[in-house]
Amino acid sequence: MAEKKRTEVADIDRSLYDFTYGEEGFERLDAGLTPDIVREISAKKDEPDWMLEFRLKSLDIYKRMHTPTWGPDISGLDMDNIVTYVKPNTDQKSDWESLPDDVKNTFERLGIPEAERSYLAGVGAQYDSELVYHNMQDTASKMGIVYSGIEEALHEPKWEAMIREKFMTLIPPTDHKFAALHGAVWSGGSFVYVPKGTKLDFPLQSYFRLNAKGAGQFEHTLIIVEDDADLHFIEGCSAPKYNVANLHAGAVELFVGKHAHLRYSTIENWSKNMYNLNTKRARVDEGGEVEWISGSFGSHVGYLYPMSILAGRKARCSFTGITFAGAGQNLDTGCKVVLGAPETSASVETKGISKSGGVQTFRSSIVATPAATGSRASVSCQSLMLDDQSRSDTIPSMDIRAKNVDVGHEATIGRIGDDKIFYLMSRGISEEEARTMIVNGFANPVSKELPLEYAVEMNNLIKLEMEGAIG
Amino acid sequence: MGETKKLTNVNAMPAPTWSWLKMNAAEVEVPAGLAPARDAVSVEPAPGSENVVTGNVEAFDTEMVAASKRYAARSRAAAPGDAAERAKLAAGELDTMDVPALSAYQRGAVRAEEELSAAEAFLTGCGREAYAYLRGLSGKPSVIDVPGGVRAAVTVRVDGRPGAAAAASLDVVVRANATLDLTLALDGAADPDAVAGVVGFAARVFAARGARVNVASVQTADDAFLVIDDMGVFADEGARVEVSHTVLGAGRSYTGLAADLRGDASRIDVDTSYLGAREQLHDFNYQIRHLGKRTVSNMDANGVLTGTSSKILRGTIDLMHGAKGAEGAERETVLLANDGVENKTVPVILCDEDDVAGNHGATIGHVRPEQLFYLGSRGLSEAQAEALFVSAKLEDAALSAPDERIRASVVRLGEAIVPDFEEELA
Amino acid sequence: MTDTTAAAPLLELRGVTAAADEKTILHGIDLAVTAGETHVLMGPNGAGKSTMGHVIMGDPTYTVQSGSISFDGRDITELTPDKRSRAGLFLSFQAPVEIPGVPLSSFLRAEIAGRPGLEMKGKEFRRRVKELAGQLDMDTAYLNRELGVGFSGGEKKKVEMLQLLLLQPKLAILDETDSGLDVDALGVVSRGIDAYKKATDGTLVIITHNTRILEHLHVDRVHVMVAGRIVKEGGADLIPWIDEHGFESFEQVAGHGAAADPQAVAASQGE
Repeated sequence: MAEKKRTEVADIDRSLYDFTYGEEGFERLDAGLTPDIVREISAKKDEPDWMLEFRLKSLDIYKRMHTPTWGPDISGLDMDNIVTYVKPNTDQKSDWESLPDDVKNTFERLGIPEAERSYLAGVGAQYDSELVYHNMQDTASKMGIVYSGIEEALHEPKWEAMIREKFMTLIPPTDHKFAALHGAVWSGGSFVYVPKGTKLDFPLQSYFRLNAKGAGQFEHTLIIVEDDADLHFIEGCSAPKYNVANLHAGAVELFVGKHAHLRYSTIENWSKNMYNLNTKRARVDEGGEVEWISGSFGSHVGYLYPMSILAGRKARCSFTGITFAGAGQNLDTGCKVVLGAPETSASVETKGISKSGGVQTFRSSIVATPAATGSRASVSCQSLMLDDQSRSDTIPSMDIRAKNVDVGHEATIGRIGDDKIFYLMSRGISEEEARTMIVNGFANPVSKELPLEYAVEMNNLIKLEMEGAIG
Repeated sequence: MGETKKLTNVNAMPAPTWSWLKMNAAEVEVPAGLAPARDAVSVEPAPGSENVVTGNVEAFDTEMVAASKRYAARSRAAAPGDAAERAKLAAGELDTMDVPALSAYQRGAVRAEEELSAAEAFLTGCGREAYAYLRGLSGKPSVIDVPGGVRAAVTVRVDGRPGAAAAASLDVVVRANATLDLTLALDGAADPDAVAGVVGFAARVFAARGARVNVASVQTADDAFLVIDDMGVFADEGARVEVSHTVLGAGRSYTGLAADLRGDASRIDVDTSYLGAREQLHDFNYQIRHLGKRTVSNMDANGVLTGTSSKILRGTIDLMHGAKGAEGAERETVLLANDGVENKTVPVILCDEDDVAGNHGATIGHVRPEQLFYLGSRGLSEAQAEALFVSAKLEDAALSAPDERIRASVVRLGEAIVPDFEEELA
Repeated sequence: MTDTTAAAPLLELRGVTAAADEKTILHGIDLAVTAGETHVLMGPNGAGKSTMGHVIMGDPTYTVQSGSISFDGRDITELTPDKRSRAGLFLSFQAPVEIPGVPLSSFLRAEIAGRPGLEMKGKEFRRRVKELAGQLDMDTAYLNRELGVGFSGGEKKKVEMLQLLLLQPKLAILDETDSGLDVDALGVVSRGIDAYKKATDGTLVIITHNTRILEHLHVDRVHVMVAGRIVKEGGADLIPWIDEHGFESFEQVAGHGAAADPQAVAASQGE
């Protein structure tokens, strides 16, 4: 029966990512959320006073806001049981060898140092609440590119001013309850500055690993790509599975200058006890472009809707995403677009797969303000049901307030046609292989946008999810 | 003066989205101090159909109770968060992390599938509060009961007046293999500075095995009116329901339709045509639940918005568990003919079944470039092309008006927008 | 060069070069059409004949990069299509667009609105349209149908001819590139042309690559287009010659082995 298969899939699935180490020598604050805890986090970071004030104000907002009622149930997440700050037993290093064995082995197993050697221009690695590794190639530094921990950057007056001007302006703490939480307890994350006209040929990558049981990770990523500059940024994340809730409430703020280009790729593979309540937002100026590539595979609950605010004439955005929900998962993902200036354009293409009782929802909003004359947006959303125990919902919305705007929307939902399976099987392919092949083909628009190594990783994730698919 | 009434959760979509979009549901402020006007309502059977309007008042409820019994035995397989899963969770055989954390809507869907009888699950499109308000206005509902195999036609008119609240309510049973053509004329003539009035319609429709129900609703009220047009449909095996909503008037209009396609191979086709002008607001909510096997739904909406009008259309295709082979499709085309209009569209597909097909599409925008060139090559400027779409909407409604009185009402509205509308139309 | 300077031509193209998406399709076209004449524009597939019709009508898909178009004594190069239409130009579309939601009758009425001498009131308009529909053997039920939606090729063609007769333009460009393939459409167009000629002293430019449509028609001048250029002009006697020999020799004259492909032409612009 399918029931049995369900757990089987979950077991196989996580093996690559599902390993833990102890926390010897780690610093762990008490669970829960109080002004004292917030002050303690702030004190540890020796950060400017304005930041402490910001944290306390955010905490106040958090206490006053309601949890959302429209999405997946998050009543299983009890903030009193979540440890908001866990510091590993090391400071930040710039070579892997200097890290404690546990931490180093973790990233070795995840393949990060090797990826850095072969095709990345720089890597940042976070373990629980703190960055433990940050390094960038000299060639990139010489171009004037800054890639460092955001807290490190806060200690330099030049960057402090810039961070203060931009920090949580795209995602204000009032945006939603978990943005407020993030404002109060954020820790770690990367700061990237790409100067005007600078184009980096190789991607930068930040990897976030949450090892601690019952903890939250709240990293803040702030990227500024100045006019005419170009950057590809990759974000990876994973965690081992526990039987208690973990929380990820990070924030990503992207500022894309005039005629600048930023590609932001994410493969999210949190463990299936994770509440992933992440917020990502980009503001794009005249002629600039942001491209989101997003794969969501992990988490128990996911709320993830990268938002693009097209603020300048002819600004563009594209969103290419895939969400795969398996047993025990409710992943509510999609994107938001604001066409806020003339002749902007947006293109959204998403794929959703649900299987073994998993639930996936595509949710989107396209808003065209009266300023958006001459703008266009197209949304295409396809969902694949791999069995009749699962669920796929599509909830797109459009609010158009300008005359000369063209918005097109297409969505389909269905299953793999028996004829396709039959055709492949008639050529000697097993049913399981045939299904995997078809699902991989379905995911192809997303994987072809990823660097090869990540496309391979994504295909492996799909393959793992597909094992035991025939019940 | 009576007290102001506020209806909440009107036209609520079943699976809500972000509340900041202000799309999930409407709140309707009903004008104060309205006098009831039951004589503004008429139910007119066509010649030969007189006997269908003298039915038993219990007919609808009796049929729903019987249907509840018939469909009670339907077993259902596993679904996320279902009873089997909840039992295992309680017994500690499953960890909370192994069970999806369903949203409020998703829990409700499981409940509707597992626990609610057909009668308990019955809905109208505008929602309970609006329905209760309309029933309150209309008093005892009129009954239309079409005997098996018979074809009947009935026209219902609600002719609103300024300062008055008038609503018709119907309980409709169309028995096995019978056909009902129901025409609905929602009208109300009033000067622009007249005091407000309410025009309402509320109907529960039971379409038995193999029945055919064709509903043509044409709304032509002037801007002084608030119009609420609310309907719920239950479709038994092989029943086929066609609904057309032509919404041309009213300062504020709320149109709701919910359908429960519980019988295998039942089908609903909805055709919506609207014109928003001046400061009008048109609010639509369609909720089609597919429960039977090989059920089919088609929703097709076409509209033109001009002036500073606004419109929201929520369309939900709900492919529920057990609806093997079901197909739902939804398409909307909106032409925005003026800056200052507001157009909101939420085409939702909910799916808890794999052997189904759901499709939706929306095209929102201005006159397409190739159309504009074609119209231009025949002498129409962009502004004239847009005006053509507005007048075409009215002309089309006049040409396809179900009867002369409705046609005259369309012409009355048309005269306000298009010079010499009547003469041109002839 | 064509020498028709005796009377000022009704339509004149001078060195028109036009492009779509930055790809040049027409290269320095010169063309003069005198009032009352019937011209034929012929050429192989992909030569740019339809493009020329659209450029004359002002299709914004194409950009006129150089040259000018004048009609009835004024320069219309910069005019929008509706102004050209009201100046007396007409282009029948090979594939008329579908406009859902707009009944044909509403569209026809909007077309004639504000045209001196053509604007008609309700009854008169309906009588006129019915009369024209009769001439074209067209079912009047079509008048209440949405424009183009679900119309067959022949029905669409009838709608185009109906507009030709209703608007009575000074010059009509009939883009009939493919209608030679459809016997029904062919009949409709022939009937439309006859009625138009009879009713007005109209001027015609017929675009085709099939000569059947030209039987029984008095043709004043023939222009042959290859790869975006007019490579040969002559009298009606060119038609039977082309019937016999096809366009190959012109393609060779044009000096491009694969001249029918405008891309190939664009690639060899160094000459």
